[in-house]
Amino acid sequence: MNADRLSANKKILKRPHWINRFLEGWSIYRKNLLGKIGLVLLIFFALMALSSFIPPKIDPMYEPMAGVDPEISKATAPSMRHWLGTDFIGRDLFSQLLVGARIAFLVGISAAFMSVFLGTAIGMIAGYAGRFTDTILMRLADIIMVMPSLLVLLMLSALFSKLSIWFIVLFIALFRWPGVSRVIRAQTLSLKHRPFIEAAKVAGASHLRIIFRHIMPNVLPLSFLYMTFQVTSAIIIEAALAFLGFGDPSTVSWGMMLQWVWKTGHMFKAPYWLLPPGICISLITLSFYMLGRAMDEVLDPRLRKEGENY
Amino acid sequence: MELLRYIYRRLIQIVIIFFVILTILFFLFHLAPGDPVSRMVDPNLTPEDAQLIIKELGLDQPLWMQYLYYLKNFLTGHFGSSFHYGQPVIDIIGNRLPNTILLFTTSIILSAIVGIYLGKIASWHKGKKTDTLMTLGALITHTVFLPWMALIMIWIFAYRLGWFPITGMISEEVWLNPNAGVWWKMIDVLHHMALPLVTLFLIHFGSYLLIMRSSMLNTLKEDYILTGRAKGLSEKVIRDHHAAPNAALPVVTSVGLSLAFSINGGALTETVFTWPGIGRELVFAVSHNDYPLAMASFLLIAIVVLLSNLVVDILYAYLDPRIRY
Amino acid sequence: MTLLEVKNLDINYHAQGGILKAVEGVSFSLEKGRSLGFVGESGCGKTTLGMALMKLLPSNGFIGGGQIIFEGEDILKKNEEEMRKVRWRKISMIFQAAMNALNPVQRVGNQIVEAIMTHDPSLKKDEAFEMVEDLFKLVGIPKDRIKDYPHQYSGGMKQRAIIAMALACKPNLIIADEPTTALDVIVQDQILQEIKSLQEEFQMSIIFISHDISVVAEVSHEIGIMYAGKLVEYGYREEVFESPRHPYTKALLSSYPTLNGEKNRLTPIPGETPNLINPPTGCRFFDRCPVAVSLCKINPPKWVAISPTHKVLCYQCGRECGI
Repeated sequence: MNADRLSANKKILKRPHWINRFLEGWSIYRKNLLGKIGLVLLIFFALMALSSFIPPKIDPMYEPMAGVDPEISKATAPSMRHWLGTDFIGRDLFSQLLVGARIAFLVGISAAFMSVFLGTAIGMIAGYAGRFTDTILMRLADIIMVMPSLLVLLMLSALFSKLSIWFIVLFIALFRWPGVSRVIRAQTLSLKHRPFIEAAKVAGASHLRIIFRHIMPNVLPLSFLYMTFQVTSAIIIEAALAFLGFGDPSTVSWGMMLQWVWKTGHMFKAPYWLLPPGICISLITLSFYMLGRAMDEVLDPRLRKEGENY
Repeated sequence: MELLRYIYRRLIQIVIIFFVILTILFFLFHLAPGDPVSRMVDPNLTPEDAQLIIKELGLDQPLWMQYLYYLKNFLTGHFGSSFHYGQPVIDIIGNRLPNTILLFTTSIILSAIVGIYLGKIASWHKGKKTDTLMTLGALITHTVFLPWMALIMIWIFAYRLGWFPITGMISEEVWLNPNAGVWWKMIDVLHHMALPLVTLFLIHFGSYLLIMRSSMLNTLKEDYILTGRAKGLSEKVIRDHHAAPNAALPVVTSVGLSLAFSINGGALTETVFTWPGIGRELVFAVSHNDYPLAMASFLLIAIVVLLSNLVVDILYAYLDPRIRY
Repeated sequence: MTLLEVKNLDINYHAQGGILKAVEGVSFSLEKGRSLGFVGESGCGKTTLGMALMKLLPSNGFIGGGQIIFEGEDILKKNEEEMRKVRWRKISMIFQAAMNALNPVQRVGNQIVEAIMTHDPSLKKDEAFEMVEDLFKLVGIPKDRIKDYPHQYSGGMKQRAIIAMALACKPNLIIADEPTTALDVIVQDQILQEIKSLQEEFQMSIIFISHDISVVAEVSHEIGIMYAGKLVEYGYREEVFESPRHPYTKALLSSYPTLNGEKNRLTPIPGETPNLINPPTGCRFFDRCPVAVSLCKINPPKWVAISPTHKVLCYQCGRECGI
């Protein structure tokens, strides 16, 4: 019994550190059913996003925004030609749905990345610097957190007229960083007083070096975890904005599709148009959420189910 | 009393935050591309009338003077006239506010109470079918896209089944009828409120359920629960009288933290269901470039959010004696 | 009259990796009006023992064997419903004040009243509150603090409130689990004196559990030393404290500094407690014992009677050991 464990341990020690952590995390993640379902769904959506480039290549009438079917110019039910049917001016709904997946990932991941980047940086600085800087930054965070992001974005779009997708992403990030920064700040505060930080200070490390070399690596797993939750909120905000008519008019997102079905009065008549985008938004939200919960278990040992053998 | 001082401090905080928001809005107005003047003056007015308004609102003055005018106007309730409605903005938003409060407050209270109750039950039956069902149900309803759910609700329950009206808050036949009593009018409003209320409820109760559930599971590990058992109390008494009041506290905190999210949802719901509230008014005003109305609606919503936060904080202080004393 | 008799009690836990034998083969008895103290380091099983006496083991704990005979009945045979009537009314517990033993959102007085009225539903609320007033007077808490919340109490006051609560239903047996740990020494002493005088005045039967042998020696008539789930020495306080026989007991006593007397070096006990999932077959103290011989490793030690009231679980202690 001991000999086997000894050789297994030797193998583990030979691998690079981060691979071990990843494999360890994966074995815990694997046991979470919801996490697996979430991952499968996300892969499915990713495939959707990737294949969004295909339909227009097959036939220009499948262009989601500008595609015109010479034979159809109104909303029609699913058929062999148009797998999900067409919208009110004859555009193919299936290709719209695929592009929507692409936009969802694009918006979700970029906004999440930006907000986590901002939130982590600000959180670390606030936690590390303390006192005045900390108070100012956290007060700012409080004010932003109190505001309903969607409605502020509406006001902003009123003042700055129609927003492009990248503006939307930027503004979402500007609204979501406070949540991340609070958590990162708390973590930084608890790390700040650990002996290894004291040791680094004594050795003469500059503040910047301490933050980036010592604090950041310990804080990143948390940031990464929060990214999944940020993706869901970014996707939902973009979808809600598009739904209300304030999205980027040059892109087709799922929210935009819902806007069209609603505003053109087809919502009662065309379930093939009404149902898919809504289901997609809800499902992608659900899958990122499940992913996040499973990752939470990986990162926080207290949440793991009892009975695991290490 | 401690509680009063706490409220007093929070009110001052709110006033400060609100002024910050007010100021930021002012500067955004002036920094945004385009002519700020055109945002305060109805484009449909004749040049002479437009000049009158400009003089009245002090739009020809230097920036810092405009800021003072802005503050003065705000404090006296002069938000200008709505471009679209042609009426003073203050009348419009004053009319809409109670409707939003009615829908919003009812939905939050309902989802919180049901969420806490079901979360408590789910934690009792942890791991069993009831729990799995409730947790999954909460998870699914919580992640459905709100406007879409609203559309589905209308489609199924109003359009196909005809049980509820499709739009609005009141039926004119009832309210214009001089013989209709107060009860009838109330029932009419409730009838219209049913679908938006259920939609908002379904979206929100899930998160409260999940939080209460995990909170109960954590609370049941506390030492005073052991004391309760040692005292010979029944499991029911322990769960309801000792665990639940403690476990509910994080849920109240969560209600406070998610108020912004709830207001977003409220505005979306009002828009889809054509419920004449402040949220819907904001969306409408922005889509029609009705700047005075948009700005005032936004500021009013900001006040509502800040005050709701205060209400939740007071509620929490009331429930947790460690804050009060 | 024998109030409590424990025979060969085994208490186990389901743990990762197997069954943890937290308490094995413990036997002792307690007469009415006497107090008994259990001493041992963390993990020796003393708290588990205390919990088991009220059948308050956590969900992964279970009784592996033996009997707990209280007032003539084996309480291990009682079901939960019957046990609830016994708890607090017949046997109550004094918890550590540093624990969160009081519900933070309920007033202290109400929590004690709850205990009283659960076991005597015929009482009216104001009668119960009067009883609480009397109890507070007894333990030395001012009457006007009844309506306060636990966080408003100091550590010492909380401990007194917990004592008052334990006395509320006038139980026949009180189990005090580390009641003075985490209090500062002055308060500790006060509380100990309180407990001692309460015990003498009301002739209470107490089981006192602590890791601090000097504390136990203050209050208990008899002392039991526990190590790794087993009782290793047992006797009258004077016998155990002044002429300890078991190497562990001796080590325990010499690891405490004395204010008076010679200045001796503190001798900590080297080594660690054994793994209780697979406990060693021989003496559990073998690894750390300064006088162990090979016999001790193979065969579990037997009880040796030093006097009619003092016994030791050790091969070497039939005669004087030379530590």
